[in-house]
Amino acid sequence: MGLDFTTVEARGLVKVFGPTRALVGVDVRFDAGLVTVVEGPNGSGKSTLLNILAQLVRPTRGEVRYGEHSRGGSELRAQIGVLAHAAMIYPDLTGLENLCLYAKLQGVADPEARVRSLLERFEIGRFRDRPARTYSRGQLQRIALARAVIHAPRLLLLDEPSTGLDARGVERLVRAVEEERARGAIVALITHDSALADRLGERRIRLDRGRVVGADS
Amino acid sequence: MKRFLTGTALVFGKELRVELRTREILVTAGLFGLLVTVLTSLAFFLDDVTSQKIAPGVLWVSACFAAILAMGRTWARERESDAIRGLLLSPIPRSSIYAGKMLGTLVLVLAIDLVLLPAVAILFRLEVLATLLRAGPILFLGSIGYVALGTLFASMSVRTGARELMLSVVLFPLASPGLLAGVVATRELFGGAPFSEILDWLRVLAAFDLVAVVCGLVLFEPLMSE
Repeated sequence: MGLDFTTVEARGLVKVFGPTRALVGVDVRFDAGLVTVVEGPNGSGKSTLLNILAQLVRPTRGEVRYGEHSRGGSELRAQIGVLAHAAMIYPDLTGLENLCLYAKLQGVADPEARVRSLLERFEIGRFRDRPARTYSRGQLQRIALARAVIHAPRLLLLDEPSTGLDARGVERLVRAVEEERARGAIVALITHDSALADRLGERRIRLDRGRVVGADS
Repeated sequence: MKRFLTGTALVFGKELRVELRTREILVTAGLFGLLVTVLTSLAFFLDDVTSQKIAPGVLWVSACFAAILAMGRTWARERESDAIRGLLLSPIPRSSIYAGKMLGTLVLVLAIDLVLLPAVAILFRLEVLATLLRAGPILFLGSIGYVALGTLFASMSVRTGARELMLSVVLFPLASPGLLAGVVATRELFGGAPFSEILDWLRVLAAFDLVAVVCGLVLFEPLMSE
């Protein structure tokens, strides 16, 4: 299940929330095998852009093309992974239960085997049977990372993924993002963490007040 | 269709698993419903004849209040850790998220109804088995439409700041056709009317259920997409 694409291109994106213009004619492009950092001050429209790319929010005007496709519904969603500050998991379920649930929701062919490999890759085994409510920030982020890549998405969207992580957590995150990029995923990283942006970013887009004010070619 | 059924089953299973682990909704909403039943029975009990007239109202009020508490709480779980975003990002049809949540909530509400029915019977000196067999099916039928509509509006609480306030303000007026049909049908039955005499009310209730479920399935996706 799912579409295949190697570029994501937004053209003329406008998003208006009531009197607020969150995005004003944004044109951006993301390519496979590259980490593109989206920078900008608070309120510059970064998260709105990410939500539109993730198909969670519809743009008021403009369109996003995923390769040849503009709106693919569930097939397109099957190719998108999102990691944000909130873990997007159920605190009353264990880490293992959460991952099994998301593997099945994503239609992963062999969910048990995929979850086993992710437990090993992200070193989750030690705490996998505890309710997620009892996890530390670092443990939560490992589960969230495993959830975001459980279906090996073509497009990986990261929204402030290093918030609250210690040095080891950041190292683990960097390693995981590099592995995803090496796999050929399109990675968009929103962060205020300039050290993380410097380490991972191969291309930069700068937003301010809903407009692109700077971009690497 | 297969994806819809798979998605519904996964979300429904998740709802039950979380509730079995915490028992939070069954305990809080169930106790709240019982409290309303006990307080109203103490306030309004006069004699056996009057109690038979009051019991249907008490049953429906306590069941509706308990259900609204349950519906609000099931969506509060989705707000915690932004879990709803994880569901919306998955490739299952969004209507299956609604269907799974609705069925999960309905099971909890029906379980609470099963406690409230004998409680009302005992407190208002009615026959327990007769109350279960006669009022039970009407309450269950009414709960389907009420929960279907309530799940739809409660889902909006993840997108708005008004949350439970909006649920109460919007749900009761819209659910009034079903609630009225249910209360009147129960009143007639408690008054000694045979089932054949309340068939029209049951048809209204069934039509309300159908409209509520179809509205929920159709409107959930647009409501969840900004």
